[in-house]
Amino acid sequence: MSSVIQVEGVSKTYRGHRALKGVSLEIPQGGVFGLLGPNGAGKTTLIRMLAGITAPDEGRIAFFGEPLERHHQMRVGYLPEERGLYKTMKVGEQGIYLGQLRGLSRAEAIRRLKVWFERLEVDGWWNRPVSDLSKGMAQKIQFITTVLHEPDLLILDEPLSGFDPINAQRIREVVRELSEQGTTILLSTHDMPSVEEMCGTVTLVHQGEVLLAGGVSDLREQARQGRVRVVFEGEAIGFTAALGAAAELVSLRSMEHPRHHEAILRLPESADWPEWVKWLASEVRLIACEPYATSMREIFIQAVQAKAAEPLSAT
Amino acid sequence: MSSILGLIIAREYLTRVRRRAFLIGTLLMPVLSALVIGFVGLMASQTEGETKVLVIDRSGLITRWDDGYNAWVPTHPDCFPERTDLSYRFAEEPLADSTFMTSDFDAMVDFDDAIVQHGKAMLYYERSPGVVVQGKIQSDLSHAIERFRVKSELALDYETYKRLKMKVSLVGQDIVTKDRGATGRAVIGFVFSLTLFMLISIYGAQIMRGVIEEKANRIVEVIISAVKPRVLMAGKIIGVGLVGLTQFVAFIVIGWAMTALGGFLFEQSGLIGGDAALQGAGLDWKSWLASQDELSFLLDVNWGVMALATAAFFVTGYTLYASLFAAVGAAVSEESDAQYLMLPVMLPLIASYVMASTAMQDPEGTMAVVGSFVPFSAPVMMLIRIPLGVPLWEVMLSLLGVSLTAVLVVIFAGRVYRVGLLMHGKRPTFMELFRWMRHRS
Repeated sequence: MSSVIQVEGVSKTYRGHRALKGVSLEIPQGGVFGLLGPNGAGKTTLIRMLAGITAPDEGRIAFFGEPLERHHQMRVGYLPEERGLYKTMKVGEQGIYLGQLRGLSRAEAIRRLKVWFERLEVDGWWNRPVSDLSKGMAQKIQFITTVLHEPDLLILDEPLSGFDPINAQRIREVVRELSEQGTTILLSTHDMPSVEEMCGTVTLVHQGEVLLAGGVSDLREQARQGRVRVVFEGEAIGFTAALGAAAELVSLRSMEHPRHHEAILRLPESADWPEWVKWLASEVRLIACEPYATSMREIFIQAVQAKAAEPLSAT
Repeated sequence: MSSILGLIIAREYLTRVRRRAFLIGTLLMPVLSALVIGFVGLMASQTEGETKVLVIDRSGLITRWDDGYNAWVPTHPDCFPERTDLSYRFAEEPLADSTFMTSDFDAMVDFDDAIVQHGKAMLYYERSPGVVVQGKIQSDLSHAIERFRVKSELALDYETYKRLKMKVSLVGQDIVTKDRGATGRAVIGFVFSLTLFMLISIYGAQIMRGVIEEKANRIVEVIISAVKPRVLMAGKIIGVGLVGLTQFVAFIVIGWAMTALGGFLFEQSGLIGGDAALQGAGLDWKSWLASQDELSFLLDVNWGVMALATAAFFVTGYTLYASLFAAVGAAVSEESDAQYLMLPVMLPLIASYVMASTAMQDPEGTMAVVGSFVPFSAPVMMLIRIPLGVPLWEVMLSLLGVSLTAVLVVIFAGRVYRVGLLMHGKRPTFMELFRWMRHRS
């Protein structure tokens, strides 16, 4: 699979602060790529480089194999986290203007805008001034103007903030559809359930460095570290006793049902999974047994905390 | 990229021109100015009612008792002519304050023979007469006293004195060009330079506000991902400049139309309509009106050169200041923060306006000449000198200076603009601004 973006050894310093320290990453074509990281990690700096707003001090960025240049921006759509519209312009005119800035003809911009306005249910707002729009409405218009020119790469920085759950779901569906149609999407968000739901691959940056990168399912599997989730009916003490040295008990909690418990266990690497399940079923009344699904939130926190602990362990 | 620049120019232009405020301002300004001037003219021509003045000539210098009238009358009645807004009665003794207040006199002028020495008379009133009426009283009284002194001290016939008395006026003429209308044409130059000053400051401030708005709205990040900041800045400067030009042209057209209409309606007041339009652009109509006696200099002004020079200095001077305003707008996050950065930008502009108004008195003086070569004041100052006939090389040199400075300012202001656009929060210090200026892309 060819890559849309290749970032190699990119560094950027602002007023003595190194925002990015030799970052390298690759955004594969198609699919949703998650760019994660705590506040101040350097995500916005990197995104602004991809959006052609700033240039790296060191390193290089390639767009479909070519060094990234200004003209490539006609094939990029960018929805910044801090976004707005010209308040004094009418909604339709604004859409046309932003479409034209990205290379569309006026007629084509109008045609596409009409389709999108209908799709996201903002038709009827065409001739209204932007200042009349509610926050959610304005967010929809901003989203539409970002995707209007059908970019190959769509950079979405916290695209769902400001949306109610229904509209957020609608935008998620649209993003998924665009992705299925071949648009590569870079999603930067703190909303980890969205990452689990939408992203195929992610890169986690922290303090200007890449901390973690890979496919979401791979990362979750790696982070599982042999853990399984077991739900059983019976006494917790009996279960612990039966378990013995067969598996390490990570956590145990009661569930809503008075006799149901959830246990997270870590199996030894040598454990034969089908045999082990068979054995467990003979020991307790088993309700569910599945590989533990590590949340992206957990992976995120663990990675950042491990990084923070690094200098301490080194000393 | 040129089509992108066109798009930005069109947006900046159309969003401003389509605003109701612009339309109202452009149409109403000349009309309102005409109304104000008309109103002032009307008020000036109307009498406020008659002011009755009692002249107390304690020493009988200028009055005599007339048995026929059974009253004090002026020795020379023609010194106190009949006026619609002013009438005199005379007396030897002043009225008591209470009597004066109940009388129908509005003012009381009191003097004795000491007036001949110190030239002062007291004016008593309950409500001060207007400046115009006071001026008339003063003039009438001066005439009467002068006449008395001519008679008493020179034993000269007043008619002879009047014949001998002479007032000399200076008629200026340039020894090389034989030019006689210099002062009047300096006024014309001032009108043009004032227009330029107004256009630059009004529309420069609009650019600044536009940039701050874009920043505050956070739309600028989307725009500069598609457009180079310098293209955005250029588009904004050109678009807003065209708005200024449109308004200026509209003022001229409306002013011209109103002049024509005014001339048709009032045979004599045709020029007032024209002035109204000039007033709309903030011009000094009084000084222009004052020169109406010698309108011939208007024909001497090379209007073609004037228009070309105005256009050239507008383009260069406006670019210079507009890019500074754009940089100020980009450097701050809120308009209130812009004040401290506005000062260094406005200062040379205001200074050149102040210098221009002084240079009008002395258009060939050192200040005018030097000011017309300093790039930051040249656009405003050179226009004062041009109607007087400045050698072409001087104009070109000045223009070259302004152009080169404008190019440098655009480069450095462009850097501040580019860096500033994405900076939010605390306002930058001057040191930081200098650092931004060194920041190449």
